[in-house]
Amino acid sequence: MPLSILIWLPAACGLLGALVASRVQRAPAALALFGSLAALALAIGYIADYKVGAHGLQHVTDVVWIAALGIHYKLGVDGLNVMLLGLTTLLFFAAVLASNLRRWERPQLFYLHFMLAESAVLGAFLAQDLALFVAFFDLMLIPFYFLIGSWGTGPDRVKATIKLVIYTLVGSLLMLAGAIATGVLAAHQNGAPITFVLSSLQSLPLHRGSQEWIFLCFAAAFLVKMPAFPLHGWMPDGYRAMPIEVLMVFSGVLSKVGAYGFLRIALPLFPQAAVHFQLLMLLIALGSIIYGSAVAFTQTDARLIAGYSSVAQLGFITLGIFALNPQGAQGALLQMVNHGLVVAALLFIIALLAQRAGGSEDIREMGGIAFRAPVLAALFLIVALATLAIPGSSNFAGEFLILLGAFNAKLAIAIIAFSGVVMASVYALRLLIRSMHNRVGPKVHSRELTLRDGAVLVPLVAVILLLALYPQFALRRSERAVSAAVSAAHALSGQRALPRRLDFARAAGSLAGNAGGAGANQDTGSAP
Amino acid sequence: MSATTFGWLVLLFPLLGTLVIGLGFRSLPGRSAGWIATATIALSFLAALGSLIALQGHSPAHRELSSSLWNYAASAGIDAHLSILVDPLSVFMILIVSGVSTLIHLYSVSYLDGDRGFARFFAYLNFFVFSMLLLVLAGNLLLLIVGWAFVGAASYLLISFWYRRTTATKAGIKAFVINVLGDVGLVLGTFFIFKHTGTLDFLRTFKAAPHVFHSGEGDIVAGCLMLLVGAFAKSAQIPLHTWLPDAMEGPTPVSALIHAATMVTAGVYLIARMHPLFELAPAAQDVGAIVGCATLLIAGTIGLAQTDIKRVIAYSTMSQIGYMIMGVSVGAYAAGLFHLMTHAFFKALLFMGAGSIIGAMSGEQSLQKMKGFRKAMPFTYGCFIVGGLALSGIPPFSGFFSKDEILLVTGERGGWHWALYVAGYIGALLTAIYTFRMIFRAFHGEPCQEARELEAGHLHHAEVPTNPANGEVEDTDVGFPGPHHTIAERALPMKIAMSVLALGSIGAGLLQIPKVDFVIDDFLRPSFANSPLYETHTRNGLLVAGLTLGTLIGLAGIAIAYRVWVLRPGSAATIRDHARPLYVLFVNKWYFDELIDTLVVVPAAWMGRFARGTFERVVVDGTIVGGPTGLVRAGSAAVRAVQTGLLRYYAALLVLGVTALGLYFLLQS
Amino acid sequence: MSIAWYLAVSAIIFSLGAVGVIVRRNPLVVLLCLELMLNGANLALVAFSRTWGNGDGQILALVVMTVAACEVCIGLGMIVAIHRRRLPIDVDELRELQG
Repeated sequence: MPLSILIWLPAACGLLGALVASRVQRAPAALALFGSLAALALAIGYIADYKVGAHGLQHVTDVVWIAALGIHYKLGVDGLNVMLLGLTTLLFFAAVLASNLRRWERPQLFYLHFMLAESAVLGAFLAQDLALFVAFFDLMLIPFYFLIGSWGTGPDRVKATIKLVIYTLVGSLLMLAGAIATGVLAAHQNGAPITFVLSSLQSLPLHRGSQEWIFLCFAAAFLVKMPAFPLHGWMPDGYRAMPIEVLMVFSGVLSKVGAYGFLRIALPLFPQAAVHFQLLMLLIALGSIIYGSAVAFTQTDARLIAGYSSVAQLGFITLGIFALNPQGAQGALLQMVNHGLVVAALLFIIALLAQRAGGSEDIREMGGIAFRAPVLAALFLIVALATLAIPGSSNFAGEFLILLGAFNAKLAIAIIAFSGVVMASVYALRLLIRSMHNRVGPKVHSRELTLRDGAVLVPLVAVILLLALYPQFALRRSERAVSAAVSAAHALSGQRALPRRLDFARAAGSLAGNAGGAGANQDTGSAP
Repeated sequence: MSATTFGWLVLLFPLLGTLVIGLGFRSLPGRSAGWIATATIALSFLAALGSLIALQGHSPAHRELSSSLWNYAASAGIDAHLSILVDPLSVFMILIVSGVSTLIHLYSVSYLDGDRGFARFFAYLNFFVFSMLLLVLAGNLLLLIVGWAFVGAASYLLISFWYRRTTATKAGIKAFVINVLGDVGLVLGTFFIFKHTGTLDFLRTFKAAPHVFHSGEGDIVAGCLMLLVGAFAKSAQIPLHTWLPDAMEGPTPVSALIHAATMVTAGVYLIARMHPLFELAPAAQDVGAIVGCATLLIAGTIGLAQTDIKRVIAYSTMSQIGYMIMGVSVGAYAAGLFHLMTHAFFKALLFMGAGSIIGAMSGEQSLQKMKGFRKAMPFTYGCFIVGGLALSGIPPFSGFFSKDEILLVTGERGGWHWALYVAGYIGALLTAIYTFRMIFRAFHGEPCQEARELEAGHLHHAEVPTNPANGEVEDTDVGFPGPHHTIAERALPMKIAMSVLALGSIGAGLLQIPKVDFVIDDFLRPSFANSPLYETHTRNGLLVAGLTLGTLIGLAGIAIAYRVWVLRPGSAATIRDHARPLYVLFVNKWYFDELIDTLVVVPAAWMGRFARGTFERVVVDGTIVGGPTGLVRAGSAAVRAVQTGLLRYYAALLVLGVTALGLYFLLQS
Repeated sequence: MSIAWYLAVSAIIFSLGAVGVIVRRNPLVVLLCLELMLNGANLALVAFSRTWGNGDGQILALVVMTVAACEVCIGLGMIVAIHRRRLPIDVDELRELQG
């Protein structure tokens, strides 16, 4: 089935819902639910159908869009985006389901924007053409602008919306300039016809100087989107202003588009620049980890704890990507999926907690909720432990790989980054304890999770648990594509490669043969 | 069935127990959750026995069996499978863990009878046992880390089990964070080792290690030191020990299970398991030995001055683990593990006894209020005496043999190890004194109010239950901690559990008597086959001197305690006045909490507040966001001024503009 | 006849229209003046078409007429709507949509 169906089905459902809303009142919500569910089913189909051993893209759609500029409407699935499709559709389904639990003003428009956002995000993940990617990347912003501005909460929502939009648009503008420059300069410097198709661009290397400034343009857009320290200024106001259902996907999925962009575009197209700016990016990552964690554990607004913890987690992801080796990138990609799942579940739980704490999202006014809500407490415990990446969770598998990658690339940075792991345990447990445990807060009326809330939360937790048991499910799908994505930069960065999997029994046997040679074998298996 | 199948079964039963109790807690009537939990752990113990028998069927050279279920995370050069390793060392550990856990579960069925969190408690407890078994059965470093962290999480849950107490939740988060610090050490250590060996699997790592590392090379020493950080955090060694005394906030069976018998000994297991690596890093071994020795002395001195009965036992645990860490760090693997086993028996016994006394005091834990329970609680008293004698190392109780063997091997190493040897005996003296101080203060002397009531056949109940740690009135609405207390004298399951452990404390030493039998030595030998330190040649003189010295020191300690706290009850105060500075130091636990507070907690909190309050507002929001958005806003304001909304004005501008353009082109041509 | 005459007439009509749009305040008259401008342009198109012997200009003129018809429809509709809401029929007063 063509990928376009997956992309445009949600938007079509949203549009249909908006059109028939005047006749059938419940239609927008029901159609949105159907659209997101169908997209989820399709995405599961793509994941199941994904051929691990195959090279390159699968299910390719390639149509010339603007011939004169060499822009194609090219979509494709590969190891980089296959699990992210699953994440996106699952989170949108959960968020739409959560939205169904309450009434919205002008539901037809709300769901239309919501579904349009899903289409845009899916498009950004699937686009295999630089111009198309930029188009989808900017398209994502429009529905969220309306979702926050019209349905947001809090007195400052308009101000927050404008801040968010302007700030991310500045980033997008830089990226647009970078994208155009990439196409034009690649053609010019290699004397080839202009093209924006990613696979063709990869064979048209840019000069080092142009790579560097274009890389910075892209990095600015991606880092703002993630958000990374110190470009996260839009985040606190933006997070506070969003309806939590919207925030679930915004935090869970949109931030991943930025990180994904590094793997899909920045590393393969600008490997020299990636190596050149490796240290800068690693320092930004480190700053995000430490700064995000430090703010998170003094924060009292539960939503912002989740927000700043995302800054820290995205820092880990950046760290993994710019370790510029397969371990780090594999970990980063796995962590994108993990973090999306966990943060969406966490935000939904925060909404439930706020309902029980008299509408306040301040952890000082919560407390003692666990006793009358044991199931909610258990689910929250699982999510909290996954947030702090307890070994045994899939988040830990991701963090382990990321830190291993960083460890091999820059030892000192990896060691400092470990402090983020410790701080994560402080802020995650603090959130858990302050809300669920201790004495009952003044305005708290605890009650158990309802069945409908459970329908949103349980699938997310179930996926978290399944991935925890078998992270290899994601890792084996992404392995080939990830190592291809980082291979150019990895080769340039000149790291000492890790020993490939060695049969040490054999190695030891041969060593025993030439006794006394043990000392010389320290570099056994290190690839050149 | 093969030994590994039994190994998987050992893991399966507690996990099943957790799931059954966790999912069905609403529909489990009465005490059934407790019985299910106990039964699953008992089954697990049987499976452990099964794997022991199956393993003994192999020849000694082939007693290292591994089995893997599926690839956990095998990509990008990492080989992490879900695999277990069944060898004498892990079988030894699973036997102790599942065996002692069964008894503690049995004890808890009665002890937590009146608690509203009954089912939750057993779900946690089963999960804990599962994690601990996973830790010791893990066949690769990644799974070891998983077990390691799960154990920490389970201990967090159990410490803050009575979560309405703020003291309990604080203690829980402290324990968890320090444990995470340990996890980080473990992960870093793994990285250092993996960097060279390229494998996470234990057997392959050990096989490769001698070929890829020189002895004492930087990376292996760094790796082993990092592993030690993990071991210290988990085993409450200085300076990462501060969580253990606070962890006594948990229900007493938890203290018995986690903080005496199993979890805190994980560090000892880790060093024993990783011995091929540690032997390549002598510097790390020395650090381990010195820290273990320092811990055993410092914890002993603190134990002398504490008044909370559970904290006294907790510091005693720290001190005893100091012996074990020192032992396995100097190569006394079998002796260290032997002490681990005997300690599990007598320390669990002491904690259970303490639980019983706390029940009689209706939740009060201070030794200052306990007095004269000897007649009221004869069974508990007997158990305390057995545990105390074993802990003080009086022959023929089990602690005597295991502790002296550690010191013996330490002495044999010669050189500066003699200092450790002497310190060990000083520690033994302290042990005997604080142990019997506790016993004499609680059981001897004029009976207190509660003891008299109990003698008359009535169990004391406090009118208003309070939190013993800070005197806060309990939140009775919740129903935990339960309003009812249980003592061993009146609950058969508690009695059975304590009797079995008492028998173990008395008799376990007979497994390994110098010059007579070597059951533990022989059993563990295949796991340490390649270790040059394993076989030691005992010199008779040292052996005899050590055994005599150990006995004498133990007796001397008891005598001192008897004189100070029984014969002349006032003399403790006199001594305290004479050595005021020392007493203040001990009572304040050598100021470790304050030190860590000033060095870590305060700066981190300050950094967080600074980042949130000042930096976020001024730099991030003011400059970095304010800059670009301000520019855009200023630009738009300028353009907006032109938009007056007057249609005719727009039209005029348009006409003017077009005319100007037309003129321009006309004049150009 | 020289094309210049046609163009001169066209320019005069166009200018009259433009001035009308600028100076009048009644939207109805503004609309009429717009029509005038369009027809001025149409005249020029037809004149060019005739001069070059090419049908393109005439076709374009027809298109413009169609567009003009649509535009008048919408414009008149809007004026009626404004009237119905009892707003002033004056383009200077209708300036809600300023930036």
